[in-house]
Amino acid sequence: MKLRPFLILLAVMVLLAIPWLVSSSMLNAAIQMLIAALFAMAFSLLCGQAGMLSFGHAAYFGLGAFATVHAMNAFNGEGLLPTPLLPLAGAAVGLVSGVVAGYFSTKRTGVYFAMITLALAELLHALAPHLKGTFGGEAGISSFRMPAWGFGFGTAIEVYYLTLFWVLLAIGLLYLLMLTPLGRLALGLRENQRRLRFLGYNVHALGTLIFAISAMFSGLAGALQSLNIEAANYAELETHVSTVVLLNSFIGGVRVFLGPAIGAALMTFFGHVTSDVTRVWLLYQGIIFVLVMMFLPRGIVGELVERFSGKRPAGEGIRLSEMLPRLAGIAVAALGGVVLIELLQRVMSRDYRALAAGGQWPEITMMGLSWQPGSPLTWLVPLSALALGLALVLGVNRRAAARREATA
Amino acid sequence: MTFPTRALASAACILALSAGGAAAAEPLKIALVETLSGPQASTGLLYRAAVQYQVGKINEAGGYNGAPVVLEEYDNQGGPVGATDRVRAAIADGAHIIVQGSSSAVAGQITEDVRKHNLRNQGNEILYINLGAEAMELTGEKCHFYHFRVSPNAAIRVGTLVAGMKEAGVLGERVYAMNQNYSWGVDVQEATKAAAATAGYEVVEETLHEVNKIQDFAPYVARIQATNADTVITGNWSNDLLLLMKAASGAGLKARFGTAFLDQPGNIANAGAIAEGHFVSTPFNPEAGGEKSKAFAEDYKKVTGHYPSYVEPATVFGLTLLGQALQQVPAAEDIDVTAIALALEKATIETPIGSFSMRAEDHQGVFPMVVQQVSADATFKVDDTSYGFKPVKVFSAEESAAPVQESCSMQRPS
Repeated sequence: MKLRPFLILLAVMVLLAIPWLVSSSMLNAAIQMLIAALFAMAFSLLCGQAGMLSFGHAAYFGLGAFATVHAMNAFNGEGLLPTPLLPLAGAAVGLVSGVVAGYFSTKRTGVYFAMITLALAELLHALAPHLKGTFGGEAGISSFRMPAWGFGFGTAIEVYYLTLFWVLLAIGLLYLLMLTPLGRLALGLRENQRRLRFLGYNVHALGTLIFAISAMFSGLAGALQSLNIEAANYAELETHVSTVVLLNSFIGGVRVFLGPAIGAALMTFFGHVTSDVTRVWLLYQGIIFVLVMMFLPRGIVGELVERFSGKRPAGEGIRLSEMLPRLAGIAVAALGGVVLIELLQRVMSRDYRALAAGGQWPEITMMGLSWQPGSPLTWLVPLSALALGLALVLGVNRRAAARREATA
Repeated sequence: MTFPTRALASAACILALSAGGAAAAEPLKIALVETLSGPQASTGLLYRAAVQYQVGKINEAGGYNGAPVVLEEYDNQGGPVGATDRVRAAIADGAHIIVQGSSSAVAGQITEDVRKHNLRNQGNEILYINLGAEAMELTGEKCHFYHFRVSPNAAIRVGTLVAGMKEAGVLGERVYAMNQNYSWGVDVQEATKAAAATAGYEVVEETLHEVNKIQDFAPYVARIQATNADTVITGNWSNDLLLLMKAASGAGLKARFGTAFLDQPGNIANAGAIAEGHFVSTPFNPEAGGEKSKAFAEDYKKVTGHYPSYVEPATVFGLTLLGQALQQVPAAEDIDVTAIALALEKATIETPIGSFSMRAEDHQGVFPMVVQQVSADATFKVDDTSYGFKPVKVFSAEESAAPVQESCSMQRPS
C-alpha cells in the first residue's frame, strides 16, 4: 500500500502542471472537469456512502452558484469576501439549504426519499423564473471576477489554479470525513438503517447531517462554476444537471472513493471533445452509460479497483492472452458502430436530404474517406466490423468460461 | 469542427494560398456558437443553415481581406455553461465574430463573456452578432458596444402586430395579454400595454402562466371568454402556443390571436386549420416584396433545400449587413474588429422588403416587419399543409422601430 501516496502525489503534480501541458481550450475543459468532479464527489457522499439516491442535486449546485454571483456583485471582490474566498458563500448557502431540504427528505428512505429530493428541486426550478431579482431573467445574472491578493483573475490559468485549490481541498476534506466516525456511520446508514437505530443512533439527524454536507460541497461546486463563467442562470437548476451528475457518478463507480470524480472528469472531457465533432454525441454518451451499467456495474473505476486489488483467487488474475483480444474486439466493434451511426446521422441530416432531394445520392466524405450511400459495401463494411468485433469478444469470453470450468 | 466546416476551412486555405500576394492577410473568422445537439437543436440547425448560406454568399463575392471568410461551428450544448466554454474555445481558435441566436439564456451569457473578454483584452476585441435572442435587456441593461442584434424584440413584434391587425380591422378594442411567466413573456406583456395608447385599445386582462408545463389551457380560455376580448396578444411559443390555440378553438373562442412565433416550423403542421386566421409579425415573408423576395426565397431553397422561414431571414439579412460593413473596412494585415463594429453601425442594405440598418444608440437592428395571417390563399405553403402565411401589411424600418431603452448606457471605444 506504499503505492497510494506516491500515486496521489503524482496526480497532484500532473494537475499542477496542466496549464503548461495543454492548449487554452483544453484548460477550459480542465476547469469544467474539476468542477464536475467535485460535484460528483459531493453527490456520491450521499448516494454512494450513505446510500441515499438524490434526484435533485441541481438545486444545491444552483443555489451555490447564485449565492456566489450575488456575493461577487455585493463585495466586488473586496472586503470580507475577496475573489479567492467567494466559494465560501456558495458552500454556506449549500449547507443551509441542505439542512432544510435534508430535514424533510431524510424522513423517508429509498424511492420516497428520491421523490422528495426531486420535488424540492423542481419546486426551486419552477420558482426561479418568477423571481427575476434573485435568479435573473432568462438572460441570467452576470458578475465580474475582480482582482484580489495581487492576482488579476482575468486569465483561465488563474481560474484553473483557484478551482484546483478548492477542489483538492474539498476532496481532501471528503476523504478525511470518510475516516471519522461520522463517515463510518454514513456507511451504516446505507447498510442497515434499522440496526443503527436500535443501537441508539438518531438516524434522522445523521441523515440530515450527511445530506447537508453533500449539499454544501455541491454548493461549493456551483460556486466554482459561477466564478468560472462569471454568471448564473436558472438553467442550472434544471433536472438535466441532476441527471448528469448521477450518470457521471455511476459511470465512474459510486462506491469507490475517487470513482465519481474520475467518471465525471472523463464524461465532461468526452462531451467537450465529441460535441464539436459529431451532432449525436449525446447518443454516444447514452450508449456508454448503458454499456457500463450492463457490463461494469461497479463503474469504470470500481471495476479497475476490483481487478487490481488482488482480492481475487490466484487463477482469476488478468491474463493478457485474453485481455488483448477482448480489447481489440471491443475496439473493432466500436469503430464499426461509430461509422454506422455517423453514416446514418449524415444521411438523415437536413443538409443531406436537401442535397439528395434531386434524386441523386451524393457521396459522403467522412474520416478522410468518401462513402457512397447507395452502395451496399458502404453499409456492409461497418456492419461486418461491428459483428466481427462482437464475435471476437464473445469467443474470448466463451473460451475463458470453459477454461475456468476446467480448472474448477 | 464538423466535416463541412473543415472542408470550408481547407478550401479557404487553398484559395488564400492561390491568392498569392494577399495570402499573408488574416482571414476573418466567424464562430457559430449554436445549440446543435439535444432537444433544442432544431432551431440551432436553422441558424446554421442560414449562416452557412450567407457566409457562402460573402465568399462568392470575394470574402474579406483577400481571403474567404472562415466559418467554424461550435455546439453550445444548449446551455450557458457550454456556451462559455465554446466562446472561449472559439476565441482560442482566433475567432473575430461570434454569431448565435437560439436562446436568450445563452445570448445573455455570450454577450457578457464577450464584454468581459473585450475589457480584459483591449486591442483584441471580438464581436457578437445576436441573430435571434429577443430578450429586451440584451439591448437594454446588458447592451454594450460589441453586441449587435439583427432580430426583432418584444417591442418591435408587438408594436407592428397590433398596428397591422388594426389596419386589417380585426384588432378590436379589447385586448387580452396571455404570456409565459418569465422574462420574455413579461417583455411581451409590457410591450402590449405600452402599445395600447397608440393603437387605441384597452388591455382587459393580463395573464402570466407557467412555462411549458400546462397541458390544459381550458381555464385560461374561459378567462379570455369572460373578458369578451377581441384579440389575444401572446408571446407564447412551442407547446404553450399550440395548446392555447387548440383549447381556444375547442371552446369556440372568437378572439383572434396575435403571436410572435407562430411561424416556427412544425407549428402549422401541428395546429392545422386551428391556426387559420391568426396573425404573426416577422421580419420577412416571401410573398411580400414582389419578385425580389421570391428570387431570394428560391435561391435559398436551392442552396439549403427549404424556403427561408422563422429565424432564417433575419439571420441572412443580418449577415448581409455584416458583409456590407466589411466592404467599408479596408483590408489590413490584422483584422480590426472595432473598425468592423463602427462600420456595422453605419451600414445599410436593401433587403427584398426594404432597408435594413443598425441603430448606433443601442445596436438594435432597424428593419421592416411583415404582419401576416395564416391562410389557405398563401402562395408559399408551409409544413406540407394547405396553409401558409399571407402578408397583411409591410411596415417600413422606421415604422417598425421601437424607441431606444433608457436602461442602455453604451460605452463607446475612445
